[in-house]
Amino acid sequence: MTNTVTDLTPITALGGTVARTEVCGALTISENTGLGLASLSLRAGQDTPAPFGLALPDVAKAVSMGNYAAFWTGRGQWMIEATGKAEMDFAAMLKAEVPECSVTEQTDGFTAFEIASSQGAGPIEALMNKLVNIDAKTFGPGQATRTGLEHMTVFLIRRAEDRLAVIGMRTLAGSLWHALAVAARRLED
Amino acid sequence: MTRLTGGLIDRNAPLNFTFNGKAYKGFQGDTLASALLANGVQLMGRSFKYHRPRGVVAAGSEEPNAMVELRTGARQEPNTRATVAELFDGLTARSQNHMGPLHRDFLAVNDLLSPFFAAGFYYKTFMWPKAFWEKLYEPMIRKAAGLGSLSMQPDPDDYDKGFLHCDLLIVGAGAAGLAAALTAGRVGVKVILADEDFVLGGRLMAESDALDSAAAMDWVAAAKAELESLPNVRIMTRTTVFGIYDHGIFGAVERVSDHLAVPGDKVRQTLWRITAKRTVLAAGATERHIPFADNDRPGVMLAGAMRAYANRWAVSPVKRDADAIAIFTNGDDGHRTAMDLIAKGAKVLGVIDAREAAPRFGDYEVFAGSTVTGTKGRLGLSAIEITRGGRSEWHDVGALGVAGGWNPNVHLASHHRGRPVWNDDLLAFVPSPDGPKGLIPAGAAAGKGGTEEALADGMNAAITALSEIGINAAEISLPKAENMPSEQAAFWHVPGKKRAWVDFQNDVTVKDIALAHKENMKPVEHLKRWTTLGMATDQGKTSNISALAVMAELTGKSIPETGTTIFRPPYTGVSLAVLGGGDTGPLFRPRRLTPTHHWAEAQGAEFVEVGQWMRAQYFPQKGETTWRQTVDREVLAVRSGVGLCDVTTLGKVDVQGTDAGEFLNRMYSNMMGTLKVGMVRYGLMLREDGHAYDDGTCARLAEDHYVVTTTTANAGLVYRQMEFFHQCVWPELDVQLISTTDAWAQIAVAGPKSRELLRRIVDGFDLSNEAFPFMACAELTICKGLRARLFRISFSGELAYEVAVPARYGQALMERLMEQGADLGVTPYGTEALAVLRIEKGHAAGAELNGQTTAQMLGLGKMVSAKKDSIGAVMSRREGMAAEKRRLVGFKPLEAQTQVMAGSHLFTQGEAQTMTSDQGWITSSCYSPHLESYIALGFLENGAERMGEVLIAANPLEGQEMKVEVVSAHFVDPEGGRLRD
Repeated sequence: MTNTVTDLTPITALGGTVARTEVCGALTISENTGLGLASLSLRAGQDTPAPFGLALPDVAKAVSMGNYAAFWTGRGQWMIEATGKAEMDFAAMLKAEVPECSVTEQTDGFTAFEIASSQGAGPIEALMNKLVNIDAKTFGPGQATRTGLEHMTVFLIRRAEDRLAVIGMRTLAGSLWHALAVAARRLED
Repeated sequence: MTRLTGGLIDRNAPLNFTFNGKAYKGFQGDTLASALLANGVQLMGRSFKYHRPRGVVAAGSEEPNAMVELRTGARQEPNTRATVAELFDGLTARSQNHMGPLHRDFLAVNDLLSPFFAAGFYYKTFMWPKAFWEKLYEPMIRKAAGLGSLSMQPDPDDYDKGFLHCDLLIVGAGAAGLAAALTAGRVGVKVILADEDFVLGGRLMAESDALDSAAAMDWVAAAKAELESLPNVRIMTRTTVFGIYDHGIFGAVERVSDHLAVPGDKVRQTLWRITAKRTVLAAGATERHIPFADNDRPGVMLAGAMRAYANRWAVSPVKRDADAIAIFTNGDDGHRTAMDLIAKGAKVLGVIDAREAAPRFGDYEVFAGSTVTGTKGRLGLSAIEITRGGRSEWHDVGALGVAGGWNPNVHLASHHRGRPVWNDDLLAFVPSPDGPKGLIPAGAAAGKGGTEEALADGMNAAITALSEIGINAAEISLPKAENMPSEQAAFWHVPGKKRAWVDFQNDVTVKDIALAHKENMKPVEHLKRWTTLGMATDQGKTSNISALAVMAELTGKSIPETGTTIFRPPYTGVSLAVLGGGDTGPLFRPRRLTPTHHWAEAQGAEFVEVGQWMRAQYFPQKGETTWRQTVDREVLAVRSGVGLCDVTTLGKVDVQGTDAGEFLNRMYSNMMGTLKVGMVRYGLMLREDGHAYDDGTCARLAEDHYVVTTTTANAGLVYRQMEFFHQCVWPELDVQLISTTDAWAQIAVAGPKSRELLRRIVDGFDLSNEAFPFMACAELTICKGLRARLFRISFSGELAYEVAVPARYGQALMERLMEQGADLGVTPYGTEALAVLRIEKGHAAGAELNGQTTAQMLGLGKMVSAKKDSIGAVMSRREGMAAEKRRLVGFKPLEAQTQVMAGSHLFTQGEAQTMTSDQGWITSSCYSPHLESYIALGFLENGAERMGEVLIAANPLEGQEMKVEVVSAHFVDPEGGRLRD
């Protein structure tokens, strides 16, 4: 599968031509414009497949392997992530893996903001305390959930002790970035 | 200056501040109240109703009197309690609620008129004449209401919010709270210790008790150091836990920088939502006073507060060091104050003890079996009258401490409808065991106020709390303390003819309660509302129980029989700014931006809020001076050429599965299962009660794959409705649903030249009418390989398409269409033109789908298929609904250039305009540049049969009436030829 061939130039969810990054003390927030997303839903009576070799996770969990990852979104439903495949027809790639399942393109349904800490888990957890009603101490690596953040619905994925992904609706990207950046900047004070 | 020795102030850190423009000095560790008292200032404000001179009563957040305006300019903050305002260098404070200088308030005339301001004054006075209410009484009352004043400027500070989770939340960091924190902290569980004060210690700071034969604060310092060293313990000073909410969530406000002159980079306050598995309520107790004649003069205060000022802030509450202090008590506790004052070198007249068998604990005079029956002093106390057995004597004093017993702080325990229970031994209400789940009261808050018992109770509460969540905690070594004698008598007020204040803040006296009793306002809730007792900023913390006792005496019942009083959140006032969450203006709530938003902004578009969305409303061009000019141009461009509109906001739901067609058959009133692949069908969705819910389209991309569109407003609701029926009603159907609204940028390309424009961007796709007819849909590529979806649907009534691409390409597609269509006169149009176009075509939108209309009314009755069942279908046929005769029709004013107001009601000419003669209403109205006339849509009784009839459209709110002719709702191309060509 190759990149989308078109002479149109895409913009990021934040309206720019390049991904936005901001460093706030120990935290770096980056717009992950390359993340391909597609939803996978089981049809009636189907067994759980293993697209791209992923062992699809249980409730509130996320897994990753190489450039692919998945997190649970509902009963028999997952979101599949593909690093660097936003410009491809990733839904078609996934459908080819699981032709019997329902697959829906979601790459541009969302915007992914990756938050990395240079000082371990502390700043990540402090940021979570300011943003979401989730106990950061129990939301360790491999956890994923859908929750409210500043009146927006988001997916949170704890990719590692020092990394958190916040995946929100693309059309709310500006408001979501504002919420994350303001909270992160205030942790600097 | 009336500073004593010792105290917890830092005398090496002097602070300058002003009160009513006069400069004073205090020290780090002072509150505004303690610093003012130290400077001999007793008079701090005026009472609410009578404008009586008032001074500080308490030493904490229960303060009813010493309310001030802090700071200046935009940061001016009214109704701040001087007792909790932490002193900082440069603080400016002003007294409030007076006209003229504080010591000569012109509104003190109210005090002379007090007989007119008795209980129930508002209810009795403002009932007549009725016409006076709106114009005179209400504005007058509103003007008089409140105490301080607002700056009327925007708040310049930032506010924050956050969430915390813990195993054990401890509210209050006094003896019980610290013991609980040490007990739990040492086990390693997550502990949050919150206290409204700026230092830990609670009442230990106010007392002179020793712990392990050393100063109590030594133990507090050691406890603090240990707790700070534990990574599992979070200490939150300046944090008030103000309420308990559902699911074990506590609301708390942390005053991050209220104690700084300017917050600088910090936020002013943070609103925390704390989720705790268990909570120890160690909030202490509040002392009550004993009402007696003229007991509200500055200098009369709670004896426990007086002790706190002496021990913690090294302040004597008198104006001059030589002034004597007296204590009036009904129990042993008052004597403690006398002893502490004597130990500090203050001059004590003695203790007036209402008990005949009054004890003596030290070298001071005891006036046993005596009461205080009067006071003197214009702006501050100068003398008190002590009466025993009918004999009275006046004594010069500069201050009087009143000790009426302690009320456990049951406030949080009475949230979630917890009702405190009366304890006869303590003469107080204590928290009920049936209070909020997981909340364990401890220490003084549980009625165990002795230092030793509070320490032990705090420890035991923590052990109990942790055991409830399966964690074993061991007892800890507690310091030895002495429980002071605490006998007291049930003596609630001093009877007399003069006014004796019960509620200082609201000027409620014993007489007012007697009057309420006489007027049969006996239940405690009636009493409160009739007299305003317990209202306003202090919420009756120092008055409620005394008032109950007075009412009990009047009714001859016991206090618990008379009633109890519970407290709603918040425990103390919470600013709207912090509740608001911080962001203001355009950042106040999230905004959804369409994929072409930035492009539209660059074109100078005006935007309109549509739910969370910001949509381009219209695109003004140079030379256009009114929005109408712009919209008319945009509409005509669509009708004559081609226009572009971002319609991404329409909801899109991806529906897949082998039962997708059957599922949509049930969701929509018309048949969707028979739709051919590659085609689109207009769909109508009903509510379960049979009314129209939403309309949209279903596009069938494959046998087992549909894409459904909804209206912008109902996108979330329809998706939720679908999920509900899928998950809860028809779980047996093989259907998978997911929203794709944001994933695809969708642009409407509308107008007779739309096909020509699209031909220039599709990759070899046959757009001919034969290959791609009206209501066709396809997946294709455009612009040299970009995957896209194309729908031949029309909202405008013109030949039209909607083209969808991955959202990141939406802006580029819009730019490409504009570039490619330049020679075709391509024109971007916004929601205003969209509305005009759909009204001209007679399409229903939000104004017609308002939840009160039916398919028949919309002229869509035949869409409710009788061949299958669907949500609302049966109900739509029920009697009454089926007989509905109003129909959607069009209207043209006889005077073409006169606007028809949406909302106008329709009447036959010459008939009275009443509810019974009402024949319908106008739903939507606009100016049609195509017809060069205003036009409208509306529902009219038997509308379809009344074409050509002239009616009156009446808008009584504006006093407007006009003649309108009933016409077809389809003003443009009623046969639909343009759509299909």
